[in-house]
Amino acid sequence: MSEVDHLLSKKVADRYLKREVLGEGTYGVVYKAIDTKTGQTVAIKKIRLGKQKEGVNFTALREIKLLKELKDPNIIELIDAFPHKGNLHLVFEFMETDLEAVIRDRNIVLSPADIKSYLQMTLKGLAFCHKKWVLHRDMKPNNLLIGSRGQLKLADFGLARIFGSPDRRFTHQVFARWYRAPELLFGAKAYGPAVDVWAAACIFAELLLRRPFLQGNSDIDQLGKIFAAFGTPKPSQWPDMQYLPDYVEYQYVTGQPFRQLFPMASDDALDLLSKMFMYDPKARISAQQALEHRYFSSGPPPTEPALLPRPPPKRDSLNSKVSDLNQWEGPTVLSPPRKSRRVMPHREGIDGNTYQVDKVDEHADEIKPADGERSEHVPMSLDFSVFGAQPPSRPTINSVDRSHLKRKLDLDHYCFIRGTQVLAESSNISPHSRQSPNFFLKEVEVTPFYDREGKCTLLLGKLLAYNKKLCKYFDTNPG
Amino acid sequence: MGFENKNDAYMSGSRQPGSQPGQLGSLSLSLTPLRANREYDPIADYHHVMADFLTSTHRAKWIFSPQDLKEKYKAANQRARQALEKYGATRMEVDVDGSWSYPEPQPDAKEIVEKHSRKPLKIDEEQLLRTFYEFKIQDVCDAFKFPRKIQATALIYFKRFYLQWSVMEHHPKDIMLTCIYAACKAEENHVSAEELGKAIEQDHQMILNNEMLVLQSLGFDLIVYAPYRALEGFVSVMEEFIEANDEQLQMLQDLHETAKVESDKIMLTDASLLFPPGQLALAALYRANEVHGLLDFERCLGSLLSRQQDTHSISELTVSLNTICSLVSKLVTLTATDMKHVDRKLKLCRDPSSHDKSKKRKHRSKESSNEFHA
Repeated sequence: MSEVDHLLSKKVADRYLKREVLGEGTYGVVYKAIDTKTGQTVAIKKIRLGKQKEGVNFTALREIKLLKELKDPNIIELIDAFPHKGNLHLVFEFMETDLEAVIRDRNIVLSPADIKSYLQMTLKGLAFCHKKWVLHRDMKPNNLLIGSRGQLKLADFGLARIFGSPDRRFTHQVFARWYRAPELLFGAKAYGPAVDVWAAACIFAELLLRRPFLQGNSDIDQLGKIFAAFGTPKPSQWPDMQYLPDYVEYQYVTGQPFRQLFPMASDDALDLLSKMFMYDPKARISAQQALEHRYFSSGPPPTEPALLPRPPPKRDSLNSKVSDLNQWEGPTVLSPPRKSRRVMPHREGIDGNTYQVDKVDEHADEIKPADGERSEHVPMSLDFSVFGAQPPSRPTINSVDRSHLKRKLDLDHYCFIRGTQVLAESSNISPHSRQSPNFFLKEVEVTPFYDREGKCTLLLGKLLAYNKKLCKYFDTNPG
Repeated sequence: MGFENKNDAYMSGSRQPGSQPGQLGSLSLSLTPLRANREYDPIADYHHVMADFLTSTHRAKWIFSPQDLKEKYKAANQRARQALEKYGATRMEVDVDGSWSYPEPQPDAKEIVEKHSRKPLKIDEEQLLRTFYEFKIQDVCDAFKFPRKIQATALIYFKRFYLQWSVMEHHPKDIMLTCIYAACKAEENHVSAEELGKAIEQDHQMILNNEMLVLQSLGFDLIVYAPYRALEGFVSVMEEFIEANDEQLQMLQDLHETAKVESDKIMLTDASLLFPPGQLALAALYRANEVHGLLDFERCLGSLLSRQQDTHSISELTVSLNTICSLVSKLVTLTATDMKHVDRKLKLCRDPSSHDKSKKRKHRSKESSNEFHA
């Protein structure tokens, strides 16, 4: 159907038969639906329109824009996007669960071959993104969705960006903290695909350990945790470190041997892991190189996706429980249930609660009988109110970060003033460095042009200057 | 595939032999096999973001044949004509959620149309209006000092939009601003609608109202490819290949600058709907070289294509380049006076009540005559 027909028929919305609410996503309600054209089950994200001062939701637009171009078996498929009755609808393929649910389900045993399979699919999706010059920037287990035949797919491209322009600088406030690479924690603004590889390494480690590997409760603490594990990086290991914007010197500690950190892992697994956890992003293995690592060619071969262990599928009558679940304003369940955690009330900042994760998990089995039915539906979204306390927080991008990030992303427009100061200041990037995949890692300091409201002061000045000139252009409305 | 054959002279003047083999290895300029006109994009795989062109929605859905374009323009015009007959007006109401409607059907629509001799725009008049506003897109983007990429994106959005709609249905002034706004958003150079509106004294709500309609009309295919990257690719390959001395480097740089300006012009034509960005860039380079006379262009092309073992390609590419160049040469800068007649016609067929208003306006004809003066 051509775009015109598509538009004029106005029938798009009829194509999908809405079924139950799956839950609340990052930016709107998510429904399960049937695509009558293909018979396929889909998930529809509904995003409200019209209220926003800045029009169509930025995050949604970014996700649509990139997913339209990224078609890969290991990347979530955006089937359709259309406005209907005041909402923008994004139609995704329906996914049953996610990797976080797998990792945290104590009934699941993950064999080395299973872990290899999950990691391989993760890296395949990531390598594809990087090949297409897209940084995901929010890699974490609950953004790795798992389909009905066990296929793992990267999802949630709301923070993703195209990289590759030498003069582009990004915000470092990306990723959930536990998955944030050390260069980001040191405030790097020019970074590359290596940040996604670090996060993938954290996920690899999490698959091996069955708990988040580096659970810092602040950015400083996160670096502390990283250094405690691998040792404080020496300048010889990571020469550029000291030039990073937020670099602070940490007291030297020696790390632990990888063998000790991951006693169950094979030598090949440890070798790959150590290469993915390289401090110097320039030295860190790329997603593609990681896929070619002997870990994937040596035995045991990765498990067929369809044979991978997964949490029991949720019953379809999920919707009947929705109102129930809403009572405590916690996560409403969606596909996958853990997605909801990101819209839970902000629980960051309570130091020391991060280590409760495992403790709570151990209790999980005891709670189940008492609250059997619900936990059957939402095995991982326990009603933490039982504890009279807050559930353990797996840090997503916290709300402070979020708003900061939103502003940063929305105003991530250095290019705007390109050709003036920025280029002048970044001109020490030689044309040759453009060709180096790591050119982004060259730190070029640029004075921020933003005032306290986050507005670009230079821009405003320019706008005023052009105001008069421009008005003439638009004076097409006589009288 | 690449420029590894260093015996080819890319410069008509002195040539610099002896560049080292493998020097360009990292550039991996890949020449995709030429199957049809639209298939060929010499640098498609060359530069960063360009790497995706081959699998892009741009290539899959938005490169047309001249016949395609003709039909689309005709269909849009036809629809607006029908609307005029049926409703007595062509203007569409648009809502934030992307829904739209024609004005209330008027029983005496036909009468009114006849009585006031409201004639729909002809297809070439629509074309004229679009071109006029495309120039304005460049003016606005220049004034805001937006990078070229944003300007090109806005232009492509605008062109794609009017493949489906007539200017009689959606006023190009509104769509122009919305396209600029959307382009800024998509290129992550966000400007608030309010800022954009304020700076040009336009109601920013209009921009927001049209946003969803524009996005939807674009099929949400927001990543578009402009020739500038490709151009950079060509130039830097040449730079390295010929191991240019300082003087030649300067000349190449001048050539590059001229080629950018030529690309700007090309972007104002329908070429961006007909050819892939790599070909647009080559055409720009060709036209720039006409001015500078720096390269032996034919040899350049020949050597580029010889690597594809496809003897047809050079002639096909030449045809493409010629077509692009002739499109550019037909480009005329339209003045406000040129537009006066068409603009008046547009007003009359768009808005049912504008006839009365225009009568009143006659008393202030001095004011209104300014309308297109920039």
